[in-house]
Amino acid sequence: MSHSDTIPLHPSSQSDIDEIENLINASVQSGPATVLPARPPSPPRASIPISSSPFIASNLPPPTYQKPPTAPGPTTPAVIPVSDSRPSPPDPLDSVWDTVKRDLSRIVSNLKLVVFPNPNREDPGKALRDWDLWGPFFFIIFLGLTLSWSASVKKSEVFAVAFAVLAAGAIILTLNVLLLGGHIIFFQSLSLLGYCLFPLDVGPLSLIVVTITLVWSSWAAYPFMSAAVGPRRKALALYPVFLMYVSVGFLIIAI
Amino acid sequence: MEDAYGSLPSSHLLGSVPAVIPPNEKPENKEGATASMQMFPPGNGGYRAPGSSNVGDEQPATSWAGVFSISSYTPYFNVDTDVVVDRLMSSVYPLRGDFFSKIGANPDLYAPVWISTTLVFMLAALGNCASYLMKKKDPSHQWLFDVAYFNWSAGVVYGYVLIVPAASYFLLQYLGSNGSLIRLWCLWGYSLFIFIPASLLLVVPVEVFRWVIILLAGSASAGFISLNLRTYTEGHDLMVWVVSVFLLQFFLAILLKVLFFA
Repeated sequence: MSHSDTIPLHPSSQSDIDEIENLINASVQSGPATVLPARPPSPPRASIPISSSPFIASNLPPPTYQKPPTAPGPTTPAVIPVSDSRPSPPDPLDSVWDTVKRDLSRIVSNLKLVVFPNPNREDPGKALRDWDLWGPFFFIIFLGLTLSWSASVKKSEVFAVAFAVLAAGAIILTLNVLLLGGHIIFFQSLSLLGYCLFPLDVGPLSLIVVTITLVWSSWAAYPFMSAAVGPRRKALALYPVFLMYVSVGFLIIAI
Repeated sequence: MEDAYGSLPSSHLLGSVPAVIPPNEKPENKEGATASMQMFPPGNGGYRAPGSSNVGDEQPATSWAGVFSISSYTPYFNVDTDVVVDRLMSSVYPLRGDFFSKIGANPDLYAPVWISTTLVFMLAALGNCASYLMKKKDPSHQWLFDVAYFNWSAGVVYGYVLIVPAASYFLLQYLGSNGSLIRLWCLWGYSLFIFIPASLLLVVPVEVFRWVIILLAGSASAGFISLNLRTYTEGHDLMVWVVSVFLLQFFLAILLKVLFFA
Protein backbone atom coordinates (compact mmCIF):
# COMPACT_ATOMS: atom_id res chain seq x y z
CA MET A 1 0.00 0.00 0.00
CA SER A 2 2.79 2.37 -0.87
CA HIS A 3 0.91 5.44 -1.89
CA SER A 4 3.39 7.57 -3.69
CA ASP A 5 0.93 8.09 -6.49
CA THR A 6 -2.04 9.30 -4.49
CA ILE A 7 -3.18 12.85 -3.89
CA PRO A 8 -0.11 14.87 -3.01
CA LEU A 9 -0.38 15.88 0.58
CA HIS A 10 1.76 18.20 2.54
CA PRO A 11 5.08 16.40 2.92
CA SER A 12 5.00 16.33 6.68
CA SER A 13 1.53 14.88 6.83
CA GLN A 14 2.52 12.35 4.20
CA SER A 15 5.13 10.97 6.54
CA ASP A 16 2.61 10.49 9.34
CA ILE A 17 0.21 8.79 7.01
CA ASP A 18 3.03 6.63 5.69
CA GLU A 19 3.85 5.54 9.19
CA ILE A 20 0.28 4.66 9.99
CA GLU A 21 -0.04 2.69 6.79
CA ASN A 22 3.18 0.88 7.44
CA LEU A 23 2.09 -0.12 10.89
CA ILE A 24 -1.15 -1.41 9.47
CA ASN A 25 0.79 -3.28 6.80
CA ALA A 26 3.12 -4.73 9.32
CA SER A 27 0.25 -6.08 11.35
CA VAL A 28 -1.49 -7.50 8.33
CA GLN A 29 1.51 -9.18 6.86
CA SER A 30 2.46 -12.50 8.32
CA GLY A 31 5.35 -14.89 8.06
CA PRO A 32 9.01 -14.58 8.78
CA ALA A 33 9.82 -13.25 5.34
CA THR A 34 8.70 -9.82 6.40
CA VAL A 35 10.61 -9.50 9.61
CA LEU A 36 11.50 -5.86 9.95
CA PRO A 37 14.89 -4.94 11.33
CA ALA A 38 15.30 -3.87 14.91
CA ARG A 39 15.10 -0.13 15.28
CA PRO A 40 18.50 1.47 15.53
CA PRO A 41 18.72 4.22 18.10
CA SER A 42 20.69 6.63 15.93
CA PRO A 43 19.57 10.25 15.45
CA PRO A 44 20.49 10.92 11.80
CA ARG A 45 17.30 9.31 10.60
CA ALA A 46 15.63 12.71 10.64
CA SER A 47 17.63 13.83 7.64
CA ILE A 48 16.32 11.09 5.37
CA PRO A 49 13.74 12.83 3.22
CA ILE A 50 10.86 10.42 3.42
CA SER A 51 11.46 8.41 6.50
CA SER A 52 11.14 9.07 10.15
CA SER A 53 10.71 7.03 13.25
CA PRO A 54 7.23 6.25 14.46
CA PHE A 55 5.69 9.05 16.34
CA ILE A 56 3.81 6.87 18.75
CA ALA A 57 5.15 6.90 22.26
CA SER A 58 7.82 4.35 22.64
CA ASN A 59 6.04 2.48 25.41
CA LEU A 60 3.08 1.53 23.25
CA PRO A 61 3.05 -2.15 22.33
CA PRO A 62 3.86 -2.69 18.68
CA PRO A 63 1.31 -4.31 16.41
CA THR A 64 1.41 -8.08 16.28
CA TYR A 65 4.10 -9.26 13.96
CA GLN A 66 7.10 -11.52 14.15
CA LYS A 67 9.62 -10.06 16.57
CA PRO A 68 13.20 -10.07 15.38
CA PRO A 69 15.19 -12.75 17.19
CA THR A 70 17.72 -10.38 18.79
CA ALA A 71 16.61 -7.15 20.33
CA PRO A 72 19.31 -4.50 19.90
CA GLY A 73 21.86 -4.11 17.18
CA PRO A 74 21.15 -3.15 13.60
CA THR A 75 20.64 -6.11 11.34
CA THR A 76 20.61 -6.08 7.59
CA PRO A 77 17.17 -5.07 6.39
CA ALA A 78 15.04 -8.02 5.43
CA VAL A 79 12.45 -7.87 2.71
CA ILE A 80 10.48 -4.78 3.47
CA PRO A 81 6.97 -4.50 2.05
CA VAL A 82 7.09 -0.74 1.42
CA SER A 83 9.44 1.35 -0.57
CA ASP A 84 11.31 3.14 2.18
CA SER A 85 13.72 2.09 4.84
CA ARG A 86 11.84 3.12 7.95
CA PRO A 87 13.01 1.37 11.10
CA SER A 88 10.56 -0.85 12.93
CA PRO A 89 8.51 0.14 15.94
CA PRO A 90 10.29 -0.29 19.24
CA ASP A 91 10.82 -3.77 20.58
CA PRO A 92 8.86 -4.22 23.81
CA LEU A 93 11.74 -6.15 25.33
CA ASP A 94 13.91 -3.03 25.26
CA SER A 95 15.12 -2.13 28.65
CA VAL A 96 13.90 1.05 30.23
CA TRP A 97 17.29 2.55 29.72
CA ASP A 98 17.15 1.88 26.00
CA THR A 99 13.81 3.59 25.76
CA VAL A 100 14.95 6.58 27.74
CA LYS A 101 18.14 6.81 25.73
CA ARG A 102 16.17 6.72 22.50
CA ASP A 103 13.79 9.45 23.62
CA LEU A 104 16.62 11.60 24.86
CA SER A 105 18.47 11.28 21.61
CA ARG A 106 15.32 12.24 19.75
CA ILE A 107 14.91 15.29 21.92
CA VAL A 108 18.49 16.31 21.27
CA SER A 109 18.16 15.83 17.54
CA ASN A 110 14.95 17.81 17.40
CA LEU A 111 16.55 20.54 19.42
CA LYS A 112 19.45 20.74 17.03
CA LEU A 113 17.10 20.96 14.08
CA VAL A 114 14.88 23.62 15.47
CA VAL A 115 16.95 25.89 17.60
CA PHE A 116 20.37 25.85 16.08
CA PRO A 117 21.28 27.02 12.59
CA ASN A 118 21.40 24.17 10.16
CA PRO A 119 20.55 23.77 6.48
CA ASN A 120 17.34 21.81 7.12
CA ARG A 121 15.64 24.80 8.67
CA GLU A 122 14.80 26.16 5.29
CA ASP A 123 12.45 23.30 4.65
CA PRO A 124 10.13 23.29 7.62
CA GLY A 125 8.25 20.20 6.57
CA LYS A 126 11.39 18.17 6.60
CA ALA A 127 12.82 19.61 9.74
CA LEU A 128 10.54 18.42 12.49
CA ARG A 129 9.32 15.16 10.99
CA ASP A 130 10.30 13.29 14.07
CA TRP A 131 8.39 15.49 16.44
CA ASP A 132 7.75 14.49 19.98
CA LEU A 133 6.13 16.14 22.96
CA TRP A 134 8.59 15.09 25.66
CA GLY A 135 11.01 17.86 24.85
CA PRO A 136 8.43 20.62 25.01
CA PHE A 137 7.01 19.11 28.18
CA PHE A 138 10.36 19.16 29.91
CA PHE A 139 11.09 22.70 28.80
CA ILE A 140 7.76 24.06 29.93
CA ILE A 141 7.98 22.36 33.31
CA PHE A 142 11.55 23.50 33.76
CA LEU A 143 10.67 27.07 32.94
CA GLY A 144 7.69 27.00 35.28
CA LEU A 145 9.77 25.57 38.09
CA THR A 146 12.53 28.13 37.58
CA LEU A 147 10.06 30.97 37.68
CA SER A 148 8.33 29.62 40.73
CA TRP A 149 11.58 29.04 42.61
CA SER A 150 12.75 32.56 42.02
CA ALA A 151 9.42 34.09 42.95
CA SER A 152 9.29 35.30 46.50
CA VAL A 153 5.59 34.94 47.07
CA LYS A 154 2.68 33.09 45.49
CA LYS A 155 4.97 30.46 44.07
CA SER A 156 2.28 28.05 43.04
CA GLU A 157 0.32 30.76 41.34
CA VAL A 158 3.39 31.82 39.40
CA PHE A 159 3.98 28.29 38.23
CA ALA A 160 0.35 27.95 37.26
CA VAL A 161 0.36 31.16 35.26
CA ALA A 162 3.60 30.26 33.50
CA PHE A 163 2.46 26.78 32.63
CA ALA A 164 -0.97 27.94 31.51
CA VAL A 165 0.41 30.73 29.36
CA LEU A 166 2.88 28.43 27.66
CA ALA A 167 0.65 25.44 27.14
CA ALA A 168 -2.45 27.37 26.17
CA GLY A 169 -0.31 29.71 24.13
CA ALA A 170 1.13 26.91 22.04
CA ILE A 171 -2.31 25.49 21.37
CA ILE A 172 -3.79 28.86 20.52
CA LEU A 173 -0.93 29.76 18.22
CA THR A 174 -1.44 26.56 16.30
CA LEU A 175 -5.15 27.20 16.06
CA ASN A 176 -4.40 30.68 14.83
CA VAL A 177 -2.33 29.34 11.95
CA LEU A 178 -4.99 26.83 11.07
CA LEU A 179 -7.72 29.45 11.15
CA LEU A 180 -5.76 31.74 8.88
CA GLY A 181 -5.92 28.99 6.32
CA GLY A 182 -2.42 27.74 6.91
CA HIS A 183 -1.16 24.22 6.63
CA ILE A 184 0.46 22.87 9.72
CA ILE A 185 0.12 19.72 11.72
CA PHE A 186 -1.25 20.39 15.16
CA PHE A 187 1.16 18.34 17.23
CA GLN A 188 4.11 19.19 15.08
CA SER A 189 3.45 22.83 15.76
CA LEU A 190 3.03 22.25 19.48
CA SER A 191 6.29 20.39 19.48
CA LEU A 192 8.00 23.15 17.56
CA LEU A 193 6.83 25.94 19.83
CA GLY A 194 7.89 23.92 22.83
CA TYR A 195 11.36 23.37 21.47
CA CYS A 196 11.74 27.06 20.76
CA LEU A 197 11.46 27.64 24.49
CA PHE A 198 14.84 26.06 25.00
CA PRO A 199 16.83 29.32 24.74
CA LEU A 200 14.64 30.92 27.40
CA ASP A 201 15.28 27.96 29.66
CA VAL A 202 19.04 28.03 29.59
CA GLY A 203 19.64 31.75 29.69
CA PRO A 204 20.37 33.18 33.11
CA LEU A 205 17.75 35.55 34.36
CA SER A 206 18.84 39.04 33.54
CA LEU A 207 17.20 41.59 31.30
CA ILE A 208 19.80 41.58 28.52
CA VAL A 209 20.13 37.83 28.32
CA VAL A 210 16.40 37.33 28.35
CA THR A 211 16.02 39.79 25.49
CA ILE A 212 18.67 37.98 23.48
CA THR A 213 17.17 34.57 24.12
CA LEU A 214 13.74 35.92 23.28
CA VAL A 215 15.00 37.07 19.91
CA TRP A 216 16.65 33.70 19.44
CA SER A 217 13.41 31.85 20.18
CA SER A 218 11.47 34.00 17.78
CA TRP A 219 14.09 33.49 15.12
CA ALA A 220 13.87 29.75 15.67
CA ALA A 221 10.12 29.68 15.26
CA TYR A 222 9.97 32.12 12.35
CA PRO A 223 10.59 29.89 9.31
CA PHE A 224 8.12 27.25 10.38
CA MET A 225 5.27 29.58 11.12
CA SER A 226 5.78 31.82 8.14
CA ALA A 227 6.01 28.91 5.76
CA ALA A 228 2.73 27.54 6.99
CA VAL A 229 0.52 30.44 5.88
CA GLY A 230 0.24 32.44 2.70
CA PRO A 231 2.65 35.34 2.20
CA ARG A 232 0.05 38.04 2.76
CA ARG A 233 -0.79 36.74 6.19
CA LYS A 234 2.68 36.07 7.50
CA ALA A 235 2.60 38.97 9.92
CA LEU A 236 -0.78 37.85 11.21
CA ALA A 237 0.61 34.41 11.98
CA LEU A 238 3.86 35.66 13.46
CA TYR A 239 2.56 38.42 15.70
CA PRO A 240 1.00 36.04 18.25
CA VAL A 241 4.24 34.07 18.42
CA PHE A 242 6.07 37.27 19.16
CA LEU A 243 3.45 38.21 21.75
CA MET A 244 3.77 34.90 23.51
CA TYR A 245 7.54 35.02 23.75
CA VAL A 246 7.49 38.62 24.93
CA SER A 247 4.99 37.77 27.63
CA VAL A 248 7.03 34.77 28.75
CA GLY A 249 10.14 36.93 28.72
CA PHE A 250 8.36 39.51 30.79
CA LEU A 251 7.30 36.87 33.29
CA ILE A 252 10.89 35.74 33.57
CA ILE A 253 12.20 39.23 34.18
CA ALA A 254 9.51 40.40 36.50
CA ILE A 255 9.35 37.42 38.76
CA MET B 1 -26.91 19.52 20.18
CA GLU B 2 -29.18 21.81 18.30
CA ASP B 3 -26.71 21.86 15.44
CA ALA B 4 -27.83 18.35 14.52
CA TYR B 5 -31.28 19.70 13.83
CA GLY B 6 -29.87 21.71 10.99
CA SER B 7 -29.83 18.53 8.97
CA LEU B 8 -33.56 18.01 9.27
CA PRO B 9 -35.55 19.00 6.19
CA SER B 10 -37.42 21.68 8.08
CA SER B 11 -34.30 23.73 8.74
CA HIS B 12 -35.15 26.11 5.94
CA LEU B 13 -38.16 27.21 7.94
CA LEU B 14 -36.05 28.72 10.68
CA GLY B 15 -36.04 32.45 10.54
CA SER B 16 -39.17 32.78 8.48
CA VAL B 17 -41.14 34.11 11.46
CA PRO B 18 -38.67 36.37 13.23
CA ALA B 19 -40.89 37.54 16.03
CA VAL B 20 -41.37 34.12 17.58
CA ILE B 21 -37.80 32.93 17.56
CA PRO B 22 -36.51 32.64 21.11
CA PRO B 23 -33.33 34.59 21.53
CA ASN B 24 -31.01 31.63 21.78
CA GLU B 25 -31.78 30.14 18.40
CA LYS B 26 -29.87 31.10 15.32
CA PRO B 27 -31.92 33.35 13.07
CA GLU B 28 -30.71 32.43 9.63
CA ASN B 29 -30.55 35.11 7.02
CA LYS B 30 -31.08 32.78 4.12
CA GLU B 31 -29.17 34.59 1.43
CA GLY B 32 -27.76 31.38 0.19
CA ALA B 33 -27.54 27.73 0.92
CA THR B 34 -24.05 27.85 2.38
CA ALA B 35 -23.19 28.91 5.89
CA SER B 36 -23.92 32.59 6.17
CA MET B 37 -21.56 34.94 7.93
CA GLN B 38 -24.50 36.22 9.97
CA MET B 39 -24.81 32.96 11.80
CA PHE B 40 -22.95 32.16 14.88
CA PRO B 41 -22.07 29.50 15.98
CA PRO B 42 -21.55 27.98 12.57
CA GLY B 43 -23.91 25.19 11.72
CA ASN B 44 -22.35 23.57 8.67
CA GLY B 45 -21.07 20.68 10.68
CA GLY B 46 -24.55 19.22 10.79
CA TYR B 47 -24.74 18.67 7.06
CA ARG B 48 -22.12 18.83 4.40
CA ALA B 49 -23.21 21.36 1.80
CA PRO B 50 -21.82 20.31 -1.56
CA GLY B 51 -19.86 23.49 -2.00
CA SER B 52 -18.31 23.58 1.42
CA SER B 53 -14.58 23.32 1.37
CA ASN B 54 -12.50 22.01 4.21
CA VAL B 55 -9.30 23.73 3.19
CA GLY B 56 -8.04 24.50 6.63
CA ASP B 57 -9.39 21.36 8.18
CA GLU B 58 -6.61 18.92 8.85
CA GLN B 59 -8.14 17.64 12.04
CA PRO B 60 -10.80 14.95 11.99
CA ALA B 61 -14.04 16.94 11.97
CA THR B 62 -16.80 15.58 14.12
CA SER B 63 -19.76 15.28 11.90
CA TRP B 64 -22.42 16.24 14.38
CA ALA B 65 -21.33 19.67 15.47
CA GLY B 66 -19.78 22.38 13.32
CA VAL B 67 -18.79 24.09 16.53
CA PHE B 68 -15.84 21.78 16.96
CA SER B 69 -14.56 21.82 13.41
CA ILE B 70 -11.89 24.35 12.57
CA SER B 71 -12.97 24.69 8.99
CA SER B 72 -16.29 26.17 9.99
CA TYR B 73 -14.50 29.08 11.66
CA THR B 74 -12.08 29.77 8.84
CA PRO B 75 -14.39 32.27 7.09
CA TYR B 76 -14.12 34.54 10.12
CA PHE B 77 -10.35 34.70 9.77
CA ASN B 78 -10.23 35.40 6.10
CA VAL B 79 -8.20 38.59 6.24
CA ASP B 80 -4.78 39.68 5.15
CA THR B 81 -2.28 41.78 7.03
CA ASP B 82 -3.01 44.98 5.15
CA VAL B 83 -6.76 44.63 5.72
CA VAL B 84 -6.27 44.22 9.44
CA VAL B 85 -3.88 47.17 9.63
CA ASP B 86 -6.31 49.33 7.71
CA ARG B 87 -9.14 48.47 10.08
CA LEU B 88 -6.94 49.10 13.10
CA MET B 89 -6.01 52.54 11.87
CA SER B 90 -9.62 53.41 11.24
CA SER B 91 -10.57 52.40 14.77
CA VAL B 92 -8.47 55.21 16.20
CA TYR B 93 -10.54 57.95 14.54
CA PRO B 94 -13.84 58.17 16.36
CA LEU B 95 -15.60 60.58 14.08
CA ARG B 96 -15.89 58.67 10.85
CA GLY B 97 -18.67 56.20 11.51
CA ASP B 98 -17.91 54.10 8.45
CA PHE B 99 -16.54 51.04 10.17
CA PHE B 100 -19.31 48.74 9.08
CA SER B 101 -18.83 49.59 5.46
CA LYS B 102 -15.15 48.86 5.94
CA ILE B 103 -15.97 45.46 7.32
CA GLY B 104 -18.38 44.87 4.51
CA ALA B 105 -19.09 41.23 3.99
CA ASN B 106 -15.91 40.12 5.69
CA PRO B 107 -15.99 40.73 9.43
CA ASP B 108 -13.02 39.14 11.08
CA LEU B 109 -12.52 37.65 14.49
CA TYR B 110 -8.74 37.64 14.29
CA ALA B 111 -8.34 41.21 15.47
CA PRO B 112 -10.79 41.06 18.39
CA VAL B 113 -9.10 37.91 19.69
CA TRP B 114 -5.58 39.24 19.45
CA ILE B 115 -6.33 42.80 20.44
CA SER B 116 -7.99 41.62 23.62
CA THR B 117 -5.19 39.15 24.33
CA THR B 118 -2.59 41.86 23.79
CA LEU B 119 -4.54 44.19 26.01
CA VAL B 120 -4.77 41.58 28.77
CA PHE B 121 -1.05 41.11 28.70
CA MET B 122 -0.22 44.81 28.49
CA LEU B 123 -2.54 45.79 31.30
CA ALA B 124 -1.08 43.17 33.61
CA ALA B 125 2.52 43.90 32.66
CA LEU B 126 2.30 47.67 32.55
CA GLY B 127 0.13 47.76 35.64
CA ASN B 128 2.93 46.05 37.46
CA CYS B 129 5.46 48.47 35.97
CA ALA B 130 3.29 51.39 37.02
CA SER B 131 3.00 50.16 40.58
CA TYR B 132 6.75 49.59 40.61
CA LEU B 133 7.39 53.18 39.56
CA MET B 134 4.98 54.47 42.17
CA LYS B 135 6.61 52.41 44.88
CA LYS B 136 10.01 53.69 43.88
CA LYS B 137 8.99 57.11 45.00
CA ASP B 138 8.29 55.67 48.40
CA PRO B 139 11.29 53.49 49.24
CA SER B 140 9.83 52.06 52.42
CA HIS B 141 7.44 49.87 50.44
CA GLN B 142 8.61 46.54 49.14
CA TRP B 143 7.43 46.04 45.57
CA LEU B 144 6.23 42.59 44.67
CA PHE B 145 5.09 41.34 41.33
CA ASP B 146 1.40 40.74 41.57
CA VAL B 147 0.30 37.84 39.43
CA ALA B 148 -3.30 38.57 40.30
CA TYR B 149 -3.12 41.40 37.76
CA PHE B 150 -3.23 38.76 35.03
CA ASN B 151 -6.38 37.27 36.45
CA TRP B 152 -8.05 40.65 36.74
CA SER B 153 -7.10 41.84 33.31
CA ALA B 154 -8.13 38.58 31.66
CA GLY B 155 -11.44 38.63 33.47
CA VAL B 156 -12.26 42.24 32.73
CA VAL B 157 -11.14 42.39 29.11
CA TYR B 158 -12.35 39.02 27.91
CA GLY B 159 -15.56 39.30 29.88
CA TYR B 160 -16.30 42.72 28.47
CA VAL B 161 -15.53 41.90 24.88
CA LEU B 162 -17.50 38.66 24.97
CA ILE B 163 -20.52 39.60 27.01
CA VAL B 164 -21.37 43.16 26.03
CA PRO B 165 -21.68 42.51 22.28
CA ALA B 166 -23.63 39.33 22.97
CA ALA B 167 -25.99 41.19 25.25
CA SER B 168 -26.35 43.91 22.63
CA TYR B 169 -27.11 41.31 20.03
CA PHE B 170 -29.89 39.80 22.08
CA LEU B 171 -31.22 43.24 22.86
CA LEU B 172 -31.30 44.07 19.16
CA GLN B 173 -33.09 40.85 18.39
CA TYR B 174 -35.62 41.55 21.09
CA LEU B 175 -36.22 45.04 19.81
CA GLY B 176 -36.82 43.66 16.37
CA SER B 177 -33.90 44.99 14.39
CA ASN B 178 -31.56 42.50 12.86
CA GLY B 179 -28.00 42.53 14.04
CA SER B 180 -25.08 40.27 13.32
CA LEU B 181 -23.25 38.93 16.31
CA ILE B 182 -19.96 38.63 14.41
CA ARG B 183 -20.04 42.26 13.37
CA LEU B 184 -20.74 43.35 16.90
CA TRP B 185 -17.86 41.30 18.24
CA CYS B 186 -15.66 42.69 15.50
CA LEU B 187 -16.63 46.26 16.36
CA TRP B 188 -16.08 45.91 20.09
CA GLY B 189 -12.79 44.13 19.52
CA TYR B 190 -11.44 46.90 17.34
CA SER B 191 -12.66 49.52 19.76
CA LEU B 192 -10.28 48.17 22.37
CA PHE B 193 -7.28 48.83 20.18
CA ILE B 194 -6.85 52.40 21.33
CA PHE B 195 -6.34 51.24 24.91
CA ILE B 196 -3.11 49.52 23.93
CA PRO B 197 -1.08 52.67 23.22
CA ALA B 198 -2.99 54.38 26.03
CA SER B 199 -1.81 51.78 28.51
CA LEU B 200 1.76 52.41 27.41
CA LEU B 201 1.32 56.06 28.25
CA LEU B 202 -0.40 55.31 31.54
CA VAL B 203 2.83 53.95 32.99
CA VAL B 204 4.03 57.49 33.61
CA PRO B 205 3.58 57.97 37.35
CA VAL B 206 1.97 61.38 37.17
CA GLU B 207 -1.62 61.18 38.31
CA VAL B 208 -2.98 64.11 36.33
CA PHE B 209 -1.36 62.87 33.15
CA ARG B 210 -2.88 59.45 33.67
CA TRP B 211 -6.35 60.84 34.05
CA VAL B 212 -6.00 62.98 30.97
CA ILE B 213 -4.83 60.03 28.91
CA ILE B 214 -7.56 57.72 30.06
CA LEU B 215 -10.26 60.31 29.52
CA LEU B 216 -9.05 60.93 25.99
CA ALA B 217 -8.76 57.25 25.17
CA GLY B 218 -12.07 56.44 26.78
CA SER B 219 -13.95 59.09 24.90
CA ALA B 220 -12.28 58.19 21.60
CA SER B 221 -13.16 54.54 22.03
CA ALA B 222 -16.69 55.22 23.22
CA GLY B 223 -17.24 57.69 20.42
CA PHE B 224 -15.99 55.19 17.88
CA ILE B 225 -18.38 52.53 19.07
CA SER B 226 -21.46 54.67 19.46
CA LEU B 227 -21.09 56.52 16.17
CA ASN B 228 -20.71 53.30 14.28
CA LEU B 229 -23.61 51.72 16.07
CA ARG B 230 -25.73 54.70 15.22
CA THR B 231 -25.01 54.31 11.52
CA TYR B 232 -25.52 50.56 11.83
CA THR B 233 -28.96 50.82 13.35
CA GLU B 234 -30.16 53.63 11.14
CA GLY B 235 -33.88 53.69 10.84
CA HIS B 236 -34.52 52.36 14.28
CA ASP B 237 -34.74 54.66 17.22
CA LEU B 238 -32.26 53.08 19.55
CA MET B 239 -30.65 56.20 20.89
CA VAL B 240 -31.02 55.09 24.47
CA TRP B 241 -29.08 51.98 23.78
CA VAL B 242 -26.37 53.84 21.84
CA VAL B 243 -25.91 56.26 24.71
CA SER B 244 -25.70 53.44 27.22
CA VAL B 245 -23.05 51.75 25.08
CA PHE B 246 -21.11 54.98 25.09
CA LEU B 247 -21.30 55.23 28.85
CA LEU B 248 -20.39 51.57 29.27
CA GLN B 249 -17.25 51.94 27.20
CA PHE B 250 -16.31 55.04 29.12
CA PHE B 251 -16.88 53.21 32.35
CA LEU B 252 -14.56 50.46 31.12
CA ALA B 253 -11.84 53.01 30.53
CA ILE B 254 -12.19 54.37 34.05
CA LEU B 255 -12.22 50.85 35.45
CA LEU B 256 -8.99 50.00 33.66
CA LYS B 257 -7.32 53.06 35.05
CA VAL B 258 -8.49 52.40 38.57
CA LEU B 259 -7.69 48.70 38.62
CA PHE B 260 -4.30 48.73 37.01
CA PHE B 261 -2.85 52.20 37.20
CA ALA B 262 -3.97 53.44 40.57
